[in-house]
Amino acid sequence: MKRRQFVGLLGASALGLLLPGAAFADDDRKRRSSGSTSTSAGTGVPADTGAVGSVVVVGGGMAGATAAKFLRLWGGSKVQVTLVDQNATYSSNIMSNLVLNGSTTMSQLTYNYNTLRTVYGINFVQGSVVGIVPPVGAGMGSVSLADGRVLTGNKIILAPGIEFDAVPGLTPALQDNYVTHAWKAGEQTTKLASQIRNMPAGGTFVMTIPASPYRCPPGPYERACIVADYLKKNKPGSKVIILDANPFIQAEKHTFETAFGVTHAGVIDYRPNQVVASVVVNTTGGKHAVSTNFGTLFADVLNVIPAHKAGKIITDNPALANVGGRWAGVDVRSYESTGVPNVYVIGDSASSGQPKAGHIANQEAKLCSDAITRALRGDLIPNSAPKTNSACYSPITADKASWLTVVYGYDAVNNRMVAVPGAGPIEAAVATQDNFNDMKKWFATLMADSFA
Amino acid sequence: MHRIFICAGFAALTVWSQVSAAAQPHPGRLLASNCFQCHGTDGRKGFEELAGKSSSSIYEEMKEMQTKAADKNIMNAHARGFSDNEIWLIADYFSKVSR
Repeated sequence: MKRRQFVGLLGASALGLLLPGAAFADDDRKRRSSGSTSTSAGTGVPADTGAVGSVVVVGGGMAGATAAKFLRLWGGSKVQVTLVDQNATYSSNIMSNLVLNGSTTMSQLTYNYNTLRTVYGINFVQGSVVGIVPPVGAGMGSVSLADGRVLTGNKIILAPGIEFDAVPGLTPALQDNYVTHAWKAGEQTTKLASQIRNMPAGGTFVMTIPASPYRCPPGPYERACIVADYLKKNKPGSKVIILDANPFIQAEKHTFETAFGVTHAGVIDYRPNQVVASVVVNTTGGKHAVSTNFGTLFADVLNVIPAHKAGKIITDNPALANVGGRWAGVDVRSYESTGVPNVYVIGDSASSGQPKAGHIANQEAKLCSDAITRALRGDLIPNSAPKTNSACYSPITADKASWLTVVYGYDAVNNRMVAVPGAGPIEAAVATQDNFNDMKKWFATLMADSFA
Repeated sequence: MHRIFICAGFAALTVWSQVSAAAQPHPGRLLASNCFQCHGTDGRKGFEELAGKSSSSIYEEMKEMQTKAADKNIMNAHARGFSDNEIWLIADYFSKVSR
């Protein structure tokens, strides 16, 4: 009886939840909002959830885009959302290793903000953020752009991703043109693909992995596999040397030990505990040199992934970068900064106990959006049992992939997210073609959940 | 034991039903959003479409997954991360989303 009652109430309130002008055909709108059992108005924005206010989201990657979308979807049309990014489009890091073997291109991995603007009513602003003034109490804070514009909001979400430490011997121009990181997907990814394509048979590809934490823990090992697979087929006799600053493989140990020792045996040479000291770039077509605590190696193609830290907007502010001056401490029940009230940090810049990766950044964004929506409705009771999940697929060859998953729960003592006992990290028993196909579907769905 | 958890979930749903006029979201919504990355926003599209599925079928499927080899299927692994109460809330949420 009670169930029937609430279903009826919600069914009624669900009608008319759509934002006027939302980009649905009338028939679609009726279909999505009809039915007495609906608790949601499809992808429409509710007119009024009781939440009122404005939010500025800095950074339009996996975390920022998802936060903007769910603030509108869950907060309703009275929550004004501005999303700011320096670029007009987003280049996906996920799947970008498959650019290196020619399976895909960066243009196929590019996403725009059109759906967020037209369907969800998000104000997208292209610009470079140079400073923030945190909101005080229920007042307005501000985000300043390099061109002088100022964006205001009751809450500020920072999702700037990562920045790299400098590597002796490398400059941004040398990285763009000779020794890439290709760890912020984009032109460097395409550059690295072309360098691999032009490598001589019997050549040497050297890549370096920074000390954890870094973005996408399985990603570098996945890259080594994809490059090895390509070289075996196209550049016989070539080698892939991995110089890992970490003492062991950081994710999917079973998968990558099998890949290095069996699938790509004789091609991949994995060397742990190798910390890059310096690089000497050869700009005339010869080999590059990379020196570590173990000596100097020469490479036809050199791919140096530098150590990571939080985005500049965070490390510029010591109160935000309160974890070793490098990462943002957050209350994982809301992702509010532990140093600056009303400023929230999601995604790779946050220190939360979780990996730095797109899938979990999407979930952090939902938790943050839910907390902000409730706060803007006057509900300040924290989420007592936040739960998130990390999942990813890693291609091991051009047509086989593995997967990895963890479900995280709340550790109230340390205010961190920790793996739920028995729920990970769990990795696929074996890399398969089915997993590879699932990977494509996972990626398409994840991107739609974040950008559409 | 299962019954107790389910009752707890049902209690949460009952409390929610009494305050839903004030536009409180479904108590399973945020938990269920963990599924959106692979099953689509609100369970529409993606892998198996969850929107509008019966709560008992979602619940039973996830309970069964928990008993199967974790490294054989990503959902077998995933299902292990959620309590009976949480699974019930997730299942109830999707059952009430229109397709």
